[in-house]
Amino acid sequence: MATTSDSGEIEGFGQVSRTVGTVFRYLLLAATMFGIVMLGVLLLYVANDAIRPLTADPGWYLVFLLALVVPSAAVGWTVRRRDSEAFNFGTLLVGMLVVSLMFSGGVALLVIDVVPPLVALAYAIGIAVPVGLSVLLTGQAHRISFTPRLAATTALFYLSLFGLPGPVGGALGVPQVVPSLVGAIQSIPVIPVDWMMIAAVVGGGSAAAVGAYAAGIGDRTTGLYAATAAFAATLVAGALGPAVGLGAVPAVVVTAVAFVPTGAYAWRGGFAEEGSPLGLVFAATVVGGALVGALAVDALGFAGPASWVDWGFLTSAHSGTAENAGLYPAIGGSILLMATVAALSFPLGVGAAVYLEEYAPDNALTRFVDVNISNLAGVPSVVYGLLGLGVFVTYLGQSAGTVLVGGATLALLILPIVIISSREAIRSVPSDMRQASYGMGATRWQTVKNVVLPEAFPGILTGTILALGRAIGETAPLIMIGAPNVVFNLPDTLGSKVSAMPLQVYAWSGLFASEDFYTKAVPAGVVVLLAVLLAMNSVAIVLRNKFERTG
Amino acid sequence: MSEQNRDEQRTGDAGSPDPTDDEMLIQTDVSESVERTGASFDRDTVVSARDINVWYGDDQALQNISMDIPEKSVTAMVGPSGCGKSTFLRCINRMNDLIDSARVEGDLYLRGKNVYDDDVDPVALRRRVGMVFQKPNPFPKSIRENVTYGLKIQDKGGDYDEIVEESLKRAALWEEVKDQLDESGLELSGGQQQRLCIARAIAPDPEVLLMDEPASALDPVATSQIEDLIEELAQEYTVVIVTHNMQQAARISDQTAVFLTGGELVEFDDTQKIFENPESQRVEDYITGKFG
Ligand SMILES: Nc1ncnc2c1ncn2[C@@H]1O[C@H](COP(=O)(O)OP(=O)(O)OP(=O)(O)O)[C@@H](O)[C@H]1O
Ligand SMILES: [Mg+2]
Repeated sequence: MATTSDSGEIEGFGQVSRTVGTVFRYLLLAATMFGIVMLGVLLLYVANDAIRPLTADPGWYLVFLLALVVPSAAVGWTVRRRDSEAFNFGTLLVGMLVVSLMFSGGVALLVIDVVPPLVALAYAIGIAVPVGLSVLLTGQAHRISFTPRLAATTALFYLSLFGLPGPVGGALGVPQVVPSLVGAIQSIPVIPVDWMMIAAVVGGGSAAAVGAYAAGIGDRTTGLYAATAAFAATLVAGALGPAVGLGAVPAVVVTAVAFVPTGAYAWRGGFAEEGSPLGLVFAATVVGGALVGALAVDALGFAGPASWVDWGFLTSAHSGTAENAGLYPAIGGSILLMATVAALSFPLGVGAAVYLEEYAPDNALTRFVDVNISNLAGVPSVVYGLLGLGVFVTYLGQSAGTVLVGGATLALLILPIVIISSREAIRSVPSDMRQASYGMGATRWQTVKNVVLPEAFPGILTGTILALGRAIGETAPLIMIGAPNVVFNLPDTLGSKVSAMPLQVYAWSGLFASEDFYTKAVPAGVVVLLAVLLAMNSVAIVLRNKFERTG
Repeated sequence: MSEQNRDEQRTGDAGSPDPTDDEMLIQTDVSESVERTGASFDRDTVVSARDINVWYGDDQALQNISMDIPEKSVTAMVGPSGCGKSTFLRCINRMNDLIDSARVEGDLYLRGKNVYDDDVDPVALRRRVGMVFQKPNPFPKSIRENVTYGLKIQDKGGDYDEIVEESLKRAALWEEVKDQLDESGLELSGGQQQRLCIARAIAPDPEVLLMDEPASALDPVATSQIEDLIEELAQEYTVVIVTHNMQQAARISDQTAVFLTGGELVEFDDTQKIFENPESQRVEDYITGKFG
């Protein structure tokens, strides 16, 4: 109701009612909060049972408050006010350290209890050599045409992994003439000590990754230096590990998987171009505070919370009493299952997505497949368990409850999700870019390889990790395919019986139902499961944020 | 959708000339064209369209377009928005194949070979016909990779650093980006991106260069640099440029084609003639701004 004076000047613009809008807004807020608060309460309840924060000495809290919380808050606040980029970097760095430490735990579990070091080394070399040679061949692409290159590459891999005549000859009854590279390495009479072999495999991998990362920031020389430094750090850790009371193998793994990558990221963010040492200061305050606090409570004799999630819980197997029961075989089982699921569902899912988005003609069949993939994503997991049981166990005659069967069943379960999210990522690549590529005279394959996939890759990866997060929490399909409730050892082949974290928790709450298990082992298991899930999802979220910023 | 389908959809390629005997056949094409468009130029024809009709679904975007574009010259296409200029450009390098709903009928000869023949590989065709799009569309790669993209996919050798510098210089972008060749092409301004796209298109040395409003997002300085580039390119290449800027067409083009709403080619002649003494009243009205 604008009021206009005689002279035509406006005295005020009046008000427009916003009551409905305000009510609507708070209703939406309530809806949002409802789920979060409910879940938060439940999680607090479980965490309280599992970690029992109230059992800790008040002195313990005081020490950590003084050593960790207060300095971190003070430094964090200052850094953030000066340079919020630096603060984000510092936070990410601490998060990366925590998550990579968890991952190094998983890797340590694999190299200590699942894959013998010599086998790991043999396969690492047996794959690295043909890969290296293939890269060299690809470098000669202008001289050698595609078909001979493909043949040579295939032959290299076959020779390296199987030798001559290999399984093809074996089927015909021809004896092995030339041993495979993998076999040859495994049969050498003098073998290096375990930790050195593991340092070569794990440390070599991480050094190569760090080298490539550094070369991406600087030039090739930087990359070479970084890789050398990373590998040297791993070796030094292996040599010094026993001296500080950590075994040589764990020291190697933790350094290669956690410290080296985190160090590379810290170097990049702190000192490379446009870096912010302030972020490093913040990260150092947090990490240093935690270490100082830990040493101080030890020295002063303050007891921490008597948590059920402790070293023993993480490293021992199930037992008749809740106090002694542990999650170790289930953690290892989940890791192996996830590796199998990822190996199966990623290529299948991404392949299907690329075909459907970039190649498939728009016809009735495609639309039929389209609709069905969406429907499959909604099929209950029990049904997939039944499918796995029917197809892999009954029909294909695999034994029930093995890593392979479990992994294949879970891979089927998440395949539609992987396909849908990968298609989404591929579709979000602007069609302008495809046009540009075709306009330059690129073939469809060149366009997919050079433009579409690199652009869509972070999105594809994010979707796959989130889908894996769904698979890691599934219980029903594992029950259906006959995975045992209790396993005392880690599975060491694809054909061994496997349990998984959610299955173990389910067993504790069902088969071994007692007050003791309800209040001790179950909450502890749930907390570990959620921590692993959170770590995986945080990787996905970081990837997605990075993607959004550049894309 | 596949590019092969497109071949089946198009109508008969009556009298498609033998590609081995280019020169002679081009002569025939030209003489034929004289009656059709009323224009004849003293240079050899590179692109000659015969009764091109294009539909998007049921909507016709181009009607019976026939024209002969002479080599080593600049041909401007002008006309109101939506009259089918971009569509015609896409006919030349068969980019319309990629649009599901588009259907092309008629023949279009590039140096005497009908590009809509069944044995023509559209990918190979596009390697000879470069294109700069109406909307800047650099790849989310470094500036250097953007420029070398065509060389890489076409397996062309050569000193890449030199080609990058040369192409960026010709596209009037070198001075601005020479210190950031490894940064993403998407971090450039819109006008810089368009110049990057021009550099990308000329790097692999195409025979014919199609430019869809290459200067619409550029400031006057960059525009005049691009105009210089176009005139320079026309010494060696055949340039077809779409523009909404009449002065620009008058300044740089040798021939001008005027399309009007509905997708018809109303007049195609020497630029000077079009601007000074057009045959058709509608063309005169359009050029002088009476309607558009
Ligand atoms: N991909 C498409 N799908 C359907 N119709 C299209 C498509 N592209 C163009 N058209 C239609 O074809 C006609 C001609 O479009 P075109 O893009 O060739 O015009 P133009 O002359 O380049 O216009 P402008 O000057 O605005 O760029 C328009 O009516 C347009 O709606
Ligand atoms: Mg246009």
